Amino acid sequence: MDIKLEKLDKYRWLIPKTGAMRVPGMVFSNEKLIKDAQNDQSLPQVANVATLPGIVGHSLGMPDIHMGYGFPIGGVAAFDMDDGIISPGGVGYDINCGCRLMTTLLRADETQPMIKDLVSALFRNIPSGVGSTSSIRLSKKDEADVAVQGAAWAVKRGFGVPEDLKRTEDHGAMEGADPSLLSERAIKRGRGQLGTLGSGNHFLEIEVVDKIYDSEKAGTFGLFEGQVTIAIHTGSRGFGHQVCDDFLKEMIRNMPEGPFELPDRQLACAYLKSDLGQRYLGAMACAANYAWANRQVLMHWTGETILKTLSIAPKDLGMRLLYDVCHNIAKKEMHTINGSQVMLCVHRKGATRALPPGHHLLCDTYRNVGQPVLIPGDMGTSSYVLAGAKGAMDQSFGSTCHGAGRILSRTKATKMAKGRAIHRELEDKGIFVQSRGKRTLQEEMPEAYKDVSQVVEVVHGADLAVKVARLRPLGAIKG
Amino acid sequence: MDWDRPEFTLLDHTADLGIIVGGPDLKCLFKSAASAMMHIMVNIDPVKRIETAKLSVSGHDLADLLVRWLGEIHYLFVGENRVVTNAQIAFLSPSDLDALLEIVPFDPSRHHVLCEIKAVTYHQIEVTKKAGVWEARIIFDL
Repeated sequence: MDIKLEKLDKYRWLIPKTGAMRVPGMVFSNEKLIKDAQNDQSLPQVANVATLPGIVGHSLGMPDIHMGYGFPIGGVAAFDMDDGIISPGGVGYDINCGCRLMTTLLRADETQPMIKDLVSALFRNIPSGVGSTSSIRLSKKDEADVAVQGAAWAVKRGFGVPEDLKRTEDHGAMEGADPSLLSERAIKRGRGQLGTLGSGNHFLEIEVVDKIYDSEKAGTFGLFEGQVTIAIHTGSRGFGHQVCDDFLKEMIRNMPEGPFELPDRQLACAYLKSDLGQRYLGAMACAANYAWANRQVLMHWTGETILKTLSIAPKDLGMRLLYDVCHNIAKKEMHTINGSQVMLCVHRKGATRALPPGHHLLCDTYRNVGQPVLIPGDMGTSSYVLAGAKGAMDQSFGSTCHGAGRILSRTKATKMAKGRAIHRELEDKGIFVQSRGKRTLQEEMPEAYKDVSQVVEVVHGADLAVKVARLRPLGAIKG
Repeated sequence: MDWDRPEFTLLDHTADLGIIVGGPDLKCLFKSAASAMMHIMVNIDPVKRIETAKLSVSGHDLADLLVRWLGEIHYLFVGENRVVTNAQIAFLSPSDLDALLEIVPFDPSRHHVLCEIKAVTYHQIEVTKKAGVWEARIIFDL
């Protein structure tokens, strides 16, 4: 599929409306990154999403866009609640895969000598890898409670403090979750995986704040140069995958009759107003809440492990949740369209919500500076903390990028890494990594990803989010 | 086809992994696809204790049937820790399939997970007949 691109300015490319597209596409990028996007099928996927009923504005691509299945990864699309659709493929299998960042009072120069011990201890204590299981075994009743209460379920059981919930998107619990909509398979897969990291691109990373770009916002976020921070990237594990799989199959069997043809079956969908669309929303919310509880539990175990390894008191560690954001979600949100406030269903597939300063959904602490946006990079370079900007509400339904974005397939990365000791290369850069899977480090090696600093420059330049701080990795555990 | 020697081509996909499999008839094609998926996921040491189980799947069309067939075998592994080590397809129409599976319990001390396939997707799914040979393309979520 040939995709015509019109460069609008330094950071914006338009995909004009052609064929069955109902709206144009828009990709936030730069000269380098747009060439990467042209090398895979991600731009045709932006155009495919634009054919879905009820889409509003533009079918959007973020600068970290890369080829997904159905929707591109790094894709955002908003749909009208009355005549629009919801698509499990537009959310992804790992519902509410997301990222949380914790600040500490530790200084990197003092902690550096203990990094290997810390990473090894975290590797022992945080279940990770393929099919990893947790020490928490949920009863059916517990699992239903997790599905409804999300992160609050974990806080009630001592995994964190109530303040954590204010610093979590949607307070760590999406409304409308209905466990009666879950299949036995989803419940079974979720029973033993709460408090597990998983495999693939999921990680736990110890970092140091090595550059502050906006001292006012950084101060409000509790960030200072030389500070140790910890990031956790994981999602709803097998539970979310099963919810996606169950509803995708049901939607494929029950595609609405109408004047549209699916360009890819993975885009199977249901009208938001339909019973099936509403049931998916209710089940998806359960998985989103499971993911928030999962990251909440992992944060708590991370704190416990650091305290024990460094033999320090909680007040000396001073670990605090900065924020938790989801990357794979569909949410009912109010947006301004042609001057009117309209409720839309915003699909973010590999994208982050980015609320600007003053937004009513932000907690008091962050209301004046904007929502923290957490952008993990690859294992070898940097991650970023940004803050939501006004331009996001005007241009991208309050959304921005979610990471560096893959540039190499896992197969190509593995081939490129053949004969190399990736963990040694990282150690030479002062980054100590432990990984459960034999091929994970090869598949996830730094060259497999785009340059995260370029991705961040685009969203900063396009006013979707502003740079606050850069974080450099010191150590990580991978699944 | 011999379950233990699946022939398939790996497809490059930025985020995920795909395969192309072929077969002289649909039964072979479906068996090849299942065998390829299991060989990508897990390395099995020969074990004595093999159970058998019947599996029936129905689909909207051949492509849907293939995704659902692979999905069932995939679920046995990720949901029940049971590894399919062979399959005899007794009946196959464009919408229905009956098979007899050979299954072993997954034992982490004997078996080795090679690659975590998280889901069988419908993305770019294709089942076609070219010059008398059946061919399918399947993309997996990793």
